[in-house]
Amino acid sequence: MISQWWQRLQQRCTTCSRVTLGVGVLVAGLVISGVLMAAGAAGLAWTNTESFCIGCHEMRDNVYAEFKDTIHDRNRSGVRAVCSDCHVPREPLAMLKRKVAATFEIWGKITGVIDTKEKFEKHRYELATRVWTRMKLTDSHECRNCHHAEAMDPEKQSEKARARHEKAKAEGITCIDCHFGIAHKEPDGPGPKELKITR
Amino acid sequence: MKRNVSAWSIAGLVFAGLWSAQVQAQDVAAAEALMKKSGCNKCHSLSAKKEGPPYKETAAKYKGKADAEATLYKHLTTNPKVKVDGKEELHESLKTKNDADIKNVIAYILSR
Repeated sequence: MISQWWQRLQQRCTTCSRVTLGVGVLVAGLVISGVLMAAGAAGLAWTNTESFCIGCHEMRDNVYAEFKDTIHDRNRSGVRAVCSDCHVPREPLAMLKRKVAATFEIWGKITGVIDTKEKFEKHRYELATRVWTRMKLTDSHECRNCHHAEAMDPEKQSEKARARHEKAKAEGITCIDCHFGIAHKEPDGPGPKELKITR
Repeated sequence: MKRNVSAWSIAGLVFAGLWSAQVQAQDVAAAEALMKKSGCNKCHSLSAKKEGPPYKETAAKYKGKADAEATLYKHLTTNPKVKVDGKEELHESLKTKNDADIKNVIAYILSR
Protein backbone atom coordinates (compact mmCIF):
# COMPACT_ATOMS: atom_id res chain seq x y z
CA MET A 1 0.00 0.00 0.00
CA ILE A 2 2.82 2.41 0.93
CA SER A 3 4.77 1.43 -2.22
CA GLN A 4 1.70 2.06 -4.39
CA TRP A 5 1.25 5.47 -2.79
CA TRP A 6 4.98 6.21 -3.34
CA GLN A 7 4.74 5.19 -7.04
CA ARG A 8 1.71 7.44 -7.52
CA LEU A 9 3.61 10.33 -5.91
CA GLN A 10 6.56 9.77 -8.29
CA GLN A 11 4.20 9.68 -11.30
CA ARG A 12 2.65 12.99 -10.26
CA CYS A 13 6.01 14.72 -9.93
CA THR A 14 8.10 13.38 -12.78
CA THR A 15 10.74 16.11 -12.45
CA CYS A 16 11.35 15.44 -8.71
CA SER A 17 14.18 13.19 -7.63
CA ARG A 18 13.63 10.43 -5.04
CA VAL A 19 15.61 12.42 -2.47
CA THR A 20 13.55 15.58 -3.00
CA LEU A 21 10.31 13.60 -2.73
CA GLY A 22 11.57 11.81 0.41
CA VAL A 23 12.55 15.06 2.11
CA GLY A 24 9.22 16.62 1.10
CA VAL A 25 7.25 13.73 2.56
CA LEU A 26 9.34 13.86 5.76
CA VAL A 27 8.83 17.63 6.20
CA ALA A 28 5.08 17.33 5.49
CA GLY A 29 4.85 14.47 8.01
CA LEU A 30 6.69 16.49 10.64
CA VAL A 31 4.48 19.53 10.07
CA ILE A 32 1.25 17.49 10.29
CA SER A 33 2.47 15.67 13.44
CA GLY A 34 3.49 18.99 14.99
CA VAL A 35 0.10 20.55 14.27
CA LEU A 36 -1.72 17.50 15.67
CA MET A 37 0.43 17.47 18.79
CA ALA A 38 -0.03 21.20 19.34
CA ALA A 39 -3.79 20.83 18.87
CA GLY A 40 -3.83 17.91 21.33
CA ALA A 41 -1.79 19.85 23.90
CA ALA A 42 -4.01 22.91 23.47
CA GLY A 43 -7.08 20.69 23.88
CA LEU A 44 -5.67 19.17 27.08
CA ALA A 45 -4.75 22.61 28.41
CA TRP A 46 -8.28 23.81 27.63
CA THR A 47 -9.81 20.94 29.63
CA ASN A 48 -7.65 22.04 32.57
CA THR A 49 -9.09 25.55 32.72
CA GLU A 50 -11.48 26.68 35.41
CA SER A 51 -14.05 27.80 32.83
CA PHE A 52 -14.08 24.30 31.28
CA CYS A 53 -14.54 22.63 34.69
CA ILE A 54 -17.51 24.81 35.61
CA GLY A 55 -19.03 24.50 32.16
CA CYS A 56 -21.57 22.08 33.62
CA HIS A 57 -24.04 23.17 36.30
CA GLU A 58 -23.26 20.08 38.42
CA MET A 59 -19.80 21.48 39.17
CA ARG A 60 -20.67 25.19 39.02
CA ASP A 61 -23.61 25.07 41.44
CA ASN A 62 -22.16 22.61 43.92
CA VAL A 63 -18.41 22.13 44.39
CA TYR A 64 -17.41 25.39 42.69
CA ALA A 65 -19.92 27.45 44.70
CA GLU A 66 -18.44 25.91 47.87
CA PHE A 67 -14.90 26.55 46.69
CA LYS A 68 -15.54 30.30 46.27
CA ASP A 69 -13.94 32.34 49.05
CA THR A 70 -11.99 29.42 50.51
CA ILE A 71 -8.26 29.88 51.09
CA HIS A 72 -7.45 28.33 47.70
CA ASP A 73 -9.76 30.77 45.90
CA ARG A 74 -9.16 34.07 47.69
CA ASN A 75 -6.31 34.94 50.00
CA ARG A 76 -3.90 37.71 50.99
CA SER A 77 -1.35 36.90 48.26
CA GLY A 78 -3.75 36.30 45.37
CA VAL A 79 -2.20 32.97 44.42
CA ARG A 80 -5.04 30.62 43.48
CA ALA A 81 -5.42 26.92 42.92
CA VAL A 82 -8.02 26.08 40.27
CA CYS A 83 -9.84 22.73 39.95
CA SER A 84 -7.15 21.03 37.86
CA ASP A 85 -4.35 22.06 40.25
CA CYS A 86 -5.79 19.72 42.87
CA HIS A 87 -7.64 17.17 40.74
CA VAL A 88 -5.45 16.61 37.66
CA PRO A 89 -1.84 15.39 37.73
CA ARG A 90 0.70 17.62 35.96
CA GLU A 91 2.85 14.77 34.64
CA PRO A 92 1.91 14.00 30.97
CA LEU A 93 1.22 10.25 31.30
CA ALA A 94 -0.61 10.53 34.61
CA MET A 95 -2.58 13.46 33.19
CA LEU A 96 -3.60 11.48 30.12
CA LYS A 97 -4.66 8.56 32.31
CA ARG A 98 -6.79 10.91 34.43
CA LYS A 99 -8.30 12.50 31.32
CA VAL A 100 -9.24 9.10 29.91
CA ALA A 101 -10.80 8.14 33.25
CA ALA A 102 -12.67 11.46 33.26
CA THR A 103 -14.31 10.68 29.92
CA PHE A 104 -16.44 8.12 31.77
CA GLU A 105 -17.91 11.07 33.68
CA ILE A 106 -19.60 12.11 30.41
CA TRP A 107 -21.83 9.07 30.83
CA GLY A 108 -22.77 10.38 34.27
CA LYS A 109 -23.61 13.73 32.73
CA ILE A 110 -25.79 12.14 30.03
CA THR A 111 -27.66 9.95 32.52
CA GLY A 112 -28.00 12.81 35.05
CA VAL A 113 -26.49 11.01 38.06
CA ILE A 114 -25.92 14.28 39.97
CA ASP A 115 -28.05 16.74 38.00
CA THR A 116 -30.00 18.02 41.03
CA LYS A 117 -28.88 19.29 44.44
CA GLU A 118 -30.52 16.28 46.12
CA LYS A 119 -28.81 13.79 43.83
CA PHE A 120 -25.48 15.54 44.36
CA GLU A 121 -25.84 15.37 48.14
CA LYS A 122 -26.77 11.69 47.85
CA HIS A 123 -23.51 11.02 46.01
CA ARG A 124 -21.31 13.54 47.87
CA TYR A 125 -19.63 11.01 50.15
CA GLU A 126 -18.93 8.58 47.30
CA LEU A 127 -17.47 11.39 45.16
CA ALA A 128 -15.32 12.65 48.04
CA THR A 129 -13.95 9.21 48.85
CA ARG A 130 -12.92 8.78 45.21
CA VAL A 131 -10.81 11.94 45.43
CA TRP A 132 -9.47 11.04 48.89
CA THR A 133 -8.51 7.57 47.69
CA ARG A 134 -6.60 8.95 44.72
CA MET A 135 -4.83 11.49 46.92
CA LYS A 136 -3.89 8.87 49.50
CA LEU A 137 -2.54 6.57 46.80
CA THR A 138 -0.32 9.34 45.42
CA ASP A 139 0.74 10.73 48.82
CA SER A 140 -1.28 13.87 48.08
CA HIS A 141 0.87 14.52 45.02
CA GLU A 142 -1.20 17.45 43.75
CA CYS A 143 -1.03 19.21 47.17
CA ARG A 144 2.74 18.80 47.07
CA ASN A 145 3.01 20.46 43.66
CA CYS A 146 2.71 23.73 45.59
CA HIS A 147 3.24 22.78 49.25
CA HIS A 148 6.79 21.41 49.36
CA ALA A 149 7.49 19.64 52.66
CA GLU A 150 11.20 20.43 52.43
CA ALA A 151 10.44 24.13 51.96
CA MET A 152 8.21 24.35 55.05
CA ASP A 153 9.87 26.26 57.86
CA PRO A 154 8.67 24.77 61.17
CA GLU A 155 9.83 27.93 62.94
CA LYS A 156 7.25 29.91 61.01
CA GLN A 157 4.43 27.50 61.88
CA SER A 158 2.31 27.64 65.02
CA GLU A 159 3.28 25.30 67.81
CA LYS A 160 0.18 23.21 67.14
CA ALA A 161 0.84 22.96 63.41
CA ARG A 162 4.47 22.03 64.05
CA ALA A 163 3.46 19.23 66.43
CA ARG A 164 0.79 17.89 64.02
CA HIS A 165 3.22 17.90 61.07
CA GLU A 166 5.89 16.10 63.07
CA LYS A 167 3.33 13.49 64.09
CA ALA A 168 2.12 13.13 60.50
CA LYS A 169 5.68 12.57 59.30
CA ALA A 170 6.35 9.97 62.00
CA GLU A 171 3.12 8.11 61.29
CA GLY A 172 3.41 8.35 57.49
CA ILE A 173 0.06 10.02 57.07
CA THR A 174 -0.50 12.30 54.10
CA CYS A 175 -1.86 15.86 53.58
CA ILE A 176 -5.44 14.83 52.76
CA ASP A 177 -5.72 12.73 55.93
CA CYS A 178 -6.06 15.97 57.94
CA HIS A 179 -6.63 18.74 55.37
CA PHE A 180 -9.95 17.55 53.93
CA GLY A 181 -13.12 19.58 53.53
CA ILE A 182 -11.11 22.77 53.04
CA ALA A 183 -12.17 23.56 49.47
CA HIS A 184 -15.55 21.83 49.44
CA LYS A 185 -18.16 20.90 52.02
CA GLU A 186 -17.21 17.98 54.20
CA PRO A 187 -19.38 14.95 53.50
CA ASP A 188 -21.06 13.12 56.35
CA GLY A 189 -19.14 9.93 57.07
CA PRO A 190 -15.71 8.57 58.03
CA GLY A 191 -12.83 10.76 56.89
CA PRO A 192 -9.74 9.95 54.80
CA LYS A 193 -7.80 8.75 57.85
CA GLU A 194 -10.39 6.03 58.36
CA LEU A 195 -10.19 4.78 54.75
CA LYS A 196 -8.13 1.62 54.60
CA ILE A 197 -5.78 2.35 51.71
CA THR A 198 -2.18 1.24 51.48
CA ARG A 199 0.31 2.88 49.18
CA MET B 1 -65.62 37.08 55.84
CA LYS B 2 -64.74 33.72 57.39
CA ARG B 3 -63.18 32.63 54.12
CA ASN B 4 -61.08 35.80 54.10
CA VAL B 5 -59.84 35.15 57.64
CA SER B 6 -58.78 31.56 56.84
CA ALA B 7 -57.10 32.68 53.63
CA TRP B 8 -55.11 35.28 55.58
CA SER B 9 -54.26 32.69 58.26
CA ILE B 10 -52.93 30.26 55.66
CA ALA B 11 -50.97 33.03 53.96
CA GLY B 12 -49.56 34.05 57.34
CA LEU B 13 -48.53 30.50 58.17
CA VAL B 14 -46.86 30.04 54.79
CA PHE B 15 -45.01 33.35 55.18
CA ALA B 16 -43.93 32.45 58.74
CA GLY B 17 -42.71 29.05 57.54
CA LEU B 18 -40.71 30.57 54.71
CA TRP B 19 -39.29 33.26 57.01
CA SER B 20 -38.27 30.73 59.65
CA ALA B 21 -36.62 28.49 57.03
CA GLN B 22 -34.73 31.52 55.73
CA VAL B 23 -33.57 32.51 59.24
CA GLN B 24 -32.45 28.96 59.95
CA ALA B 25 -30.48 28.79 56.72
CA GLN B 26 -28.78 32.11 57.48
CA ASP B 27 -27.87 30.86 60.97
CA VAL B 28 -26.22 27.72 59.59
CA ALA B 29 -24.21 29.77 57.12
CA ALA B 30 -23.21 32.25 59.85
CA ALA B 31 -22.19 29.45 62.21
CA GLU B 32 -20.12 27.72 59.54
CA ALA B 33 -18.47 31.01 58.57
CA LEU B 34 -17.52 31.85 62.16
CA MET B 35 -16.23 28.32 62.78
CA LYS B 36 -14.13 28.54 59.64
CA LYS B 37 -12.79 31.95 60.67
CA SER B 38 -11.96 30.60 64.13
CA GLY B 39 -10.12 27.59 62.75
CA CYS B 40 -12.42 25.03 64.42
CA ASN B 41 -12.22 22.70 61.45
CA LYS B 42 -8.46 22.31 61.84
CA CYS B 43 -9.06 19.93 64.75
CA HIS B 44 -12.76 19.05 64.44
CA SER B 45 -14.95 17.81 61.63
CA LEU B 46 -18.59 16.90 61.16
CA SER B 47 -18.21 13.17 61.61
CA ALA B 48 -14.64 12.19 60.72
CA LYS B 49 -11.76 11.55 63.08
CA LYS B 50 -9.39 14.44 63.75
CA GLU B 51 -7.50 15.56 66.87
CA GLY B 52 -10.72 16.82 68.44
CA PRO B 53 -14.07 15.05 68.64
CA PRO B 54 -16.44 15.37 65.65
CA TYR B 55 -19.39 17.76 66.06
CA LYS B 56 -21.78 14.82 65.78
CA GLU B 57 -20.06 13.12 68.71
CA THR B 58 -20.35 16.30 70.81
CA ALA B 59 -24.02 16.66 69.87
CA ALA B 60 -24.69 13.06 70.93
CA LYS B 61 -22.72 13.51 74.18
CA TYR B 62 -24.76 16.52 75.25
CA LYS B 63 -28.13 15.43 73.86
CA GLY B 64 -30.90 16.10 76.41
CA LYS B 65 -28.47 17.60 78.95
CA ALA B 66 -29.65 20.83 80.53
CA ASP B 67 -26.13 22.23 80.94
CA ALA B 68 -25.12 21.55 77.33
CA GLU B 69 -25.20 25.16 76.18
CA ALA B 70 -23.46 26.51 79.29
CA THR B 71 -20.71 23.87 79.11
CA LEU B 72 -20.02 24.49 75.44
CA TYR B 73 -20.18 28.27 75.95
CA LYS B 74 -17.42 28.02 78.56
CA HIS B 75 -15.42 25.66 76.35
CA LEU B 76 -15.59 28.00 73.36
CA THR B 77 -14.85 31.25 75.17
CA THR B 78 -12.36 30.63 78.00
CA ASN B 79 -9.44 28.80 76.30
CA PRO B 80 -9.63 25.71 78.54
CA LYS B 81 -6.79 23.17 78.56
CA VAL B 82 -7.41 20.11 76.39
CA LYS B 83 -5.34 16.97 75.88
CA VAL B 84 -4.09 16.23 72.37
CA ASP B 85 -1.84 13.20 71.90
CA GLY B 86 -1.16 13.11 75.62
CA LYS B 87 -0.03 16.73 75.72
CA GLU B 88 -1.98 19.60 77.18
CA GLU B 89 -2.73 22.57 74.97
CA LEU B 90 -5.07 25.55 75.09
CA HIS B 91 -8.32 25.22 73.19
CA GLU B 92 -8.91 28.17 70.86
CA SER B 93 -11.86 30.48 71.45
CA LEU B 94 -14.36 31.58 68.83
CA LYS B 95 -13.13 34.71 67.10
CA THR B 96 -16.01 36.94 68.16
CA LYS B 97 -17.28 38.84 71.19
CA ASN B 98 -20.89 38.67 70.00
CA ASP B 99 -22.94 36.57 72.38
CA ALA B 100 -25.64 35.73 69.83
CA ASP B 101 -23.03 34.50 67.33
CA ILE B 102 -21.42 32.24 69.97
CA LYS B 103 -24.81 30.80 70.91
CA ASN B 104 -25.58 30.30 67.23
CA VAL B 105 -22.44 28.17 66.84
CA ILE B 106 -23.36 26.15 69.94
CA ALA B 107 -26.86 25.57 68.54
CA TYR B 108 -25.28 24.50 65.24
CA ILE B 109 -22.98 21.97 66.96
CA LEU B 110 -25.75 20.59 69.17
CA SER B 111 -28.08 20.13 66.19
CA ARG B 112 -25.64 17.96 64.21
